[in-house]
Amino acid sequence: MSAPQIPNLNTLRRGAGRGRLRGRGGPGSTSRGHKDRVVQGTDNDASVSRLSAVGLGYLEDPFARILTPLGQETRRLPIINRGTYVRTTAIDQLVARFLGLPSDPDSVWKQKKKQIISLGAGSDTRVFRLLQSHPAPNIVYHEIDFAVNNAAKIKTIRGTHLLQRVLGHLEDVTISDAGDALHSPIYHIHPIDLRTLAHQAEGSTSEDLVARLRETVDTTLPTLILSECCLVYLSPDEAAGVVRYFTQTLFTPSNKSETLALVLYEPIRPDDAFGRTMVANLATRGIQLQTLHEYASLEAQRVRLRQQGFDGGQAAADVDFLWERWVSEEEKERVAGLEMLDEMEEWKLLAQHYCVAWGWREGCAQFDGWGDLEKQSSEG
Amino acid sequence: MSDLDRAIAQLRACRLIPEAQVRELCYKARELLIEEGNVVCVDAPVTICGDIHGQFHDLMELFRVGGDVPDTNYLFMGDFVDRGFYSLESFLLLLCLKVRYPDRITLIRGNHESRQITTVYGFYDECIRKYGSANVWRYCCEVFDYLALGALVLGASAELEPSGPFYNDTTQSTMSTTDDGELETEVLNSKGDVTMSTYRPRQRSSLDNGAPSPTRDPATLRTGAPGTGASSSGAGSYSSSRTGAVLCVHGGLSPLIDTVDKIRLIDRKQEVPHEGAMCDLLWSDPDEIDGWGLSPRGAGFLFGADIVKQFNYKNDLSLIARAHQLVMEGYKEMFDGGIVTVWSAPNYCYRCGNVAAILELGEDASNGGMVTRSNGDIGRSNGILTGTADKAPLRSPGRRYRVFEAAAQDTRGMPAKKPVADYFL
Repeated sequence: MSAPQIPNLNTLRRGAGRGRLRGRGGPGSTSRGHKDRVVQGTDNDASVSRLSAVGLGYLEDPFARILTPLGQETRRLPIINRGTYVRTTAIDQLVARFLGLPSDPDSVWKQKKKQIISLGAGSDTRVFRLLQSHPAPNIVYHEIDFAVNNAAKIKTIRGTHLLQRVLGHLEDVTISDAGDALHSPIYHIHPIDLRTLAHQAEGSTSEDLVARLRETVDTTLPTLILSECCLVYLSPDEAAGVVRYFTQTLFTPSNKSETLALVLYEPIRPDDAFGRTMVANLATRGIQLQTLHEYASLEAQRVRLRQQGFDGGQAAADVDFLWERWVSEEEKERVAGLEMLDEMEEWKLLAQHYCVAWGWREGCAQFDGWGDLEKQSSEG
Repeated sequence: MSDLDRAIAQLRACRLIPEAQVRELCYKARELLIEEGNVVCVDAPVTICGDIHGQFHDLMELFRVGGDVPDTNYLFMGDFVDRGFYSLESFLLLLCLKVRYPDRITLIRGNHESRQITTVYGFYDECIRKYGSANVWRYCCEVFDYLALGALVLGASAELEPSGPFYNDTTQSTMSTTDDGELETEVLNSKGDVTMSTYRPRQRSSLDNGAPSPTRDPATLRTGAPGTGASSSGAGSYSSSRTGAVLCVHGGLSPLIDTVDKIRLIDRKQEVPHEGAMCDLLWSDPDEIDGWGLSPRGAGFLFGADIVKQFNYKNDLSLIARAHQLVMEGYKEMFDGGIVTVWSAPNYCYRCGNVAAILELGEDASNGGMVTRSNGDIGRSNGILTGTADKAPLRSPGRRYRVFEAAAQDTRGMPAKKPVADYFL
């Protein structure tokens, strides 16, 4: 018994939608500059979500508020807060084990100086959280992002005593005239469009900025590369090219450099109803997850890692699995008590569409810190 | 045109009514609801709907698919508010319709009809944003406290009057072949046309078993003249029986409630408590377990097939209809058809990509003279415990699910904020 007098909104949409799209789509809206600005804007999403989770007690992060633009504070939904929590703590755990846990019996590995290179880091707080932890790890931390994102971060560092204190002696810190590059003995911010690295791998000559990256990255150190929802915005060729730049050009496999490892955090499973809706919703914001279909499953992520040079081992797990298996019962209870999370089905759906994947290349030093982490074997 | 009709017209266009009118509406609604018992009795035919969650445009889609009020008799199983951007418009429209046509629309309470939950999940913020103060939120919460906790649908027909072309039902593989209910699913595309219709007739004899006929057999679908107890097919082996009642509740069962009468004893006029029978009815979920289990939601319980079977048997129910859980296919029958989840918010939160469904139960037009098989016709286990021959078996009601997609987000003539769903970026 349908009600014909009620207008069919969907038929209206069909007609009107095409017209609107035609009207709006000027040449500017598809230009590379516009797309880049959209991708740069996703950094804001991440920092607002982080601040929401910190504000409610999911995460402890004294730097979250400082590195979130003023006036942006929003309380995210409980499922988003929980997802931010799982994503952050899972990567924290991988990083901690890479650096060598205090309880680690392998003191040789633990005492080695390490290097972390964070791709598309934006306003990420991880470097500050690591540097202020006790005992302070012996690390060099590199961040690579668009100049505009770096400039915002460096401006905040300049204006915030708390951040400067973490960086140590100010006389050791240099900042570029444009305010988009920062160098110190332990922390580097490189204003590089990652796509230029992809093309470096094809043998072109280095520009100054890339040359500076080559100078400052110490290829003799065990190195961890982080891509938290970053490479996914590049084309599959460019994303692979960026990884190749590190595995082939910078850390050549032949010269027996130290362990090289990669941690990816990315959406997956674009082909079910939730995934299709996610792709469509993000597209209306102008966001294209370009490698999503290429690396659509946990298995595809593992194969990717193996094929792109991380032959020592590969593993992947979705956020639902990480919540269930990596978070202790005690911690789950604490987190579940922070907010009433009513939407169990929606949480599972959402969490099954994001994954963390990690792989490593064996180097001179034996790295087995990730060996006993539980990984997801099948496509659950 | 009365003020109420004007308010309905305005809300249908997704435009809010003035605060003073909301106050008056809520007052009238409370006067009406206070007279209702905890368990409202509703006569079939009725169209049962699950969560709406402020998805106003999809509620309009629901009315288009299911028929308008008062032409169609509706039963909404709660969760009118939160999550979507139009909780106010959705709830106030439903409330207006309730006051205007009290016998044609039944509203029962969901776990989101609560002060505490609405402050976390959006309704409170929406009230502040749209009215500039918490007054309207307070009026609505006072109405929430008076909403019934459940409903009992009586007189549902065991037979379906199918329509359209039919295909064998292969969509609900979870359903047992011993289940004897008639079931029809109609899938409507975004233009509102029926794109697929599946119909599974009652299994009448061994000849039919395993081979449900895709063609319509009018003789077996017609019931006899009222009061005669005879069917037009004249099949002598069929004797009169009845369909059990259908209990509608937002969440599910409670270990503290073993009879429908116990629901009637609850003092419901309060905020949803954190525990106890009232909380459980609004929060619990069926699950593939034995007995009772802890709910991951932190409120209510999980309950298994055995609990449902016992409860249905003890209370002469043939079906429990509930909402509360997102189902990607819009509806999901469990436990040999003893319980069904109905979910009526398509593309939930503008993010989940699910379809929605409503459940239509037909009227038993034969005045009790239903066509049915005799007790021992074929073995049935549904709802019947072994060794209890003292009760006549109850027939499942014929169930027509209408499955529909989300409405357009930005529609001419209706203001619509472009929804931005959050993702982890």
